[in-house]
Amino acid sequence: MNSKVVNSFGTLHPFVLLIYFAGIIITAMFSMNPVILTFALLGGVAFMVTQCSKNEFFSDLFFYIPMFLLIAIINPLFSHKGVTPIFFMNGNPVTVEAILYGVDISLMLVSVIYWCKCYSKIMTVDKFLFLFGKAAKKLSLVLSMAIRFIPLFRDNFREIRQVQMSLGLYNKKGILNKLSSELKVFSALITKALENSADTSASMRARGYGLKGRSHFSLFKFRKRDLVFTVILTILFSVTITGFCLGVTDFTFYPHLDSLRLDIVSGVVYISFGIIAFLPFITEIREAIVWKLSVSKI
Amino acid sequence: MKKDILAVAVLLIFAAVFIMVTDFQSVEEYYNAHPEDVKNAEKTVTISIECKSILKDINIKKLDESVLPYIPNNGIILKKTRFVLWDNDTVFDVLQRASQYKKIPLEYQGSTQNTFGSAYVEGINHLYEFSCGELSGWSYSVNGEFPQQGCSSYILKNGDNVKWLYSCDLGRDIGNTATGGYNEQ
Repeated sequence: MNSKVVNSFGTLHPFVLLIYFAGIIITAMFSMNPVILTFALLGGVAFMVTQCSKNEFFSDLFFYIPMFLLIAIINPLFSHKGVTPIFFMNGNPVTVEAILYGVDISLMLVSVIYWCKCYSKIMTVDKFLFLFGKAAKKLSLVLSMAIRFIPLFRDNFREIRQVQMSLGLYNKKGILNKLSSELKVFSALITKALENSADTSASMRARGYGLKGRSHFSLFKFRKRDLVFTVILTILFSVTITGFCLGVTDFTFYPHLDSLRLDIVSGVVYISFGIIAFLPFITEIREAIVWKLSVSKI
Repeated sequence: MKKDILAVAVLLIFAAVFIMVTDFQSVEEYYNAHPEDVKNAEKTVTISIECKSILKDINIKKLDESVLPYIPNNGIILKKTRFVLWDNDTVFDVLQRASQYKKIPLEYQGSTQNTFGSAYVEGINHLYEFSCGELSGWSYSVNGEFPQQGCSSYILKNGDNVKWLYSCDLGRDIGNTATGGYNEQ
């Protein structure tokens, strides 16, 4: 894990990135196949390793591992389907199938969350506005503001609290005092957020955002590398989606576990999805290696 | 530090309460129960569980493939069997006992878990509601009639004949006249 964040995948054309993220998130969301979901999760985590600092990565893990386990445990408590009971709880069976189904669901959930995190790291506001700024002017601006809203809110909250503490207005003794201090911070926060949004709208209007004939400045160019990625992604996604439609990756948990199909056809589908899932990671690693090699030559 | 101890204590209390109100049984313990002797019993009822309606050609096409191995060839999951009837036993109580004695998997929603105030049978023998099209599910008849109330609020009398039937068409195909079916007899 580098402390310096390398970013090679993110320099691709926004259109390619959009296809990639839309494709992988939708595939992970609609698949129940454990192999596909494991690939999706591992790929997302591997990419996240290259995109964030050590601290961020481990604090994420501390949140997602308990969440993973919680979902996996909750499912067998409420679902009693399945043919192999382990024990009975209040007269209801707790089955192996239900536990594995819970694990599968949490795989899906955590992998989709990870890919959404990667999306928000890579698809910055300028890329989003570049893609949709012309087609839906107001909507794309509102959306990009909305996506940024919560992190901004959190940062502002910390900042205001810090200021209040250093001014000596923040009383930490006792729950009640703390609560009233937090409330003061919160009311300041709301005021700031309202002011900000009014400012933003006034500022965007002053710049003539959305007027006819107004052009955007962007540095995105569709290069040869983007074309290569588009072709590769199109091929791999069509193989995966064809496999999905033909039912190659179908997998049912109830009442008994399906035996996982492992033949050439399903192997091709799994491998193509595996390449998709690890593509960003491979790109980053390749970039890092090239960087290292060129440094040592000098 | 003080807070941490408090939090751990609260968690421990929750865990203890959870374990105390939960009854854990191993698989052998659960299925080891033996039916009471019917010969000396004062009151008895008969119960049968059937899913014959699935065997019709139009319905078997709609059936979820993964359930197919669990459908008996003649459509009879439990043939007419006599069980002891205790005072205030409901249709649901008898079904639950029968499923335990005969090792038939049963999944239900308890009467406190839904808004009907009565237990709802979701699946018997891995055959669930909606397993065979969107109008399918379990329903019961007593002495050939379909009572319009929940199975855990219908109290049985001596000699009653309970039938659990799987319907693929909201009860119409098993003769439930209340939902527009016709009686075959």
